[in-house]
Amino acid sequence: MLVLVGVVSVVLVVTGQRSAPQPAASTGERSESVAPSEPSPSGEAPTGQNRPSAVAEQVAEPVSVSVPSIGVTSDLLRLDLNDDGTVEVPPLGPDDQAGWYERGPAPGAVGPAVILGHVDSAEHGPGIFFDLGALRPGAEVTVNRADGTVAVFAVDRVETHPKDDFPTIDVYGNTDDAQLRLITCGGDFDSAERSYEDNVIAFATLVGTRPA
Amino acid sequence: MRKAFALPTVAIAAAAFPLLTMSAASAHSGSYQADLGALNQSGVSGTGMVTIEGNQATVMIEASGLLAGSPHAQHFHIGALGQCPTDADDKDGDGFLSTTEGAPAYGAIGTSLTTTGDTSPDSGLAVDRFPTADNGTVSYERTFEITDDVHAAFDAGTAVLVLHGVDKDGSGAYDGDVKSDLDPALPMEATAPAACGPLTAAQMGTAPSGGAETGAGSTAGTEQQGALAFGALALTGAAAAGPWPTAVVRRRTRPDPGRSCRAADHPARHEPTPCHYPRRTS
Repeated sequence: MLVLVGVVSVVLVVTGQRSAPQPAASTGERSESVAPSEPSPSGEAPTGQNRPSAVAEQVAEPVSVSVPSIGVTSDLLRLDLNDDGTVEVPPLGPDDQAGWYERGPAPGAVGPAVILGHVDSAEHGPGIFFDLGALRPGAEVTVNRADGTVAVFAVDRVETHPKDDFPTIDVYGNTDDAQLRLITCGGDFDSAERSYEDNVIAFATLVGTRPA
Repeated sequence: MRKAFALPTVAIAAAAFPLLTMSAASAHSGSYQADLGALNQSGVSGTGMVTIEGNQATVMIEASGLLAGSPHAQHFHIGALGQCPTDADDKDGDGFLSTTEGAPAYGAIGTSLTTTGDTSPDSGLAVDRFPTADNGTVSYERTFEITDDVHAAFDAGTAVLVLHGVDKDGSGAYDGDVKSDLDPALPMEATAPAACGPLTAAQMGTAPSGGAETGAGSTAGTEQQGALAFGALALTGAAAAGPWPTAVVRRRTRPDPGRSCRAADHPARHEPTPCHYPRRTS
């Protein structure tokens, strides 16, 4: 009986609602990579001893991001840290925007640049990164910068990780080249906690720069 | 006389350079990273990441290739060159680069990266409070207060992450005839450095703590939330009785204060955060 009540009420609520796409291989407890060709799935490639970014490349700050394959175009807000050390997220509103984490590298500079966007909101529906989980390896991400140049990234893989087991070093750790991480929420919605349990993270690598 | 003279000098200096005193008080914050390289041919590799905010440090270490099932002491070493030694620094020729032989490069213990309790150099060999490398890997995270000398070492670029314990003879345990330079009751294998990496400023100026709350909503739609919660609750109750999937409510039992699902840790701050788009539909 309990089972019946549970299923019925969940189904009732869910019917007619949209569901954010998830990475194809995200059903396991542990995250999995979407890209089978990824040579070292968990970033454990043997890195040399401290390799400071050889060229302290000056890169103009980002102003907007586009992900054509999922129809995303957004001006970028500036995001800092909350008092508790977690990353700020963009304010919710009818005109949802993505944001750049300004304490990290600028997109196109060597290192892990981070852009965050909501998957959805109760009041306003799908968020700017609603379809992030549907991104496929090779998809193009472009970031327009304040000096008019455009940094072009290609998606390497999309991963899903529990928020309470977030792969901080993989996502925020040093990289040998210019990387971009697009982050949103996903996984199961924990209705008791009123929060998604997972973060969906698209990892991308700089493949080119277009002049102003 | 000297004293009477000195005091006003300090007062004048403070008045003249208010900004100077301000900046001294606000401690540097930021993230540091160490790429761990093997010592004593341990084959160990890994990464350490440290984020300092005030006098609080959040330390994350992911390392693999360690002797499985054995404790591995791990420390911030400070106060020397901020570098790692090489196996060639085996001065006494006993076949081991000992902790002592590495000290000219990385210095003395500044912090013991224990799993619980004291983190001072006194706990440097507290093997019962260091991670045990299940399957040869260590995944460590802890937030604690660091001392001023350690903080200063990070600022000065002289903090080094060192993991100890290497099964050099491949016996599967810490053993052998060579005794530890730190404690003659222990075999050298138990305390010799296995991996080392200087801690330098990370590309990510300050790495955020934990995941991102990018899926929360606003206050609307609570009536549907109520139904969802009720359904989930009913399913939870039923799960014990039958083979029903617990997908709707899984993974609620791992509150980890260090990194977090913040909504779970601080419901007052973030609630209510309903959302209309659960993935699982049945």
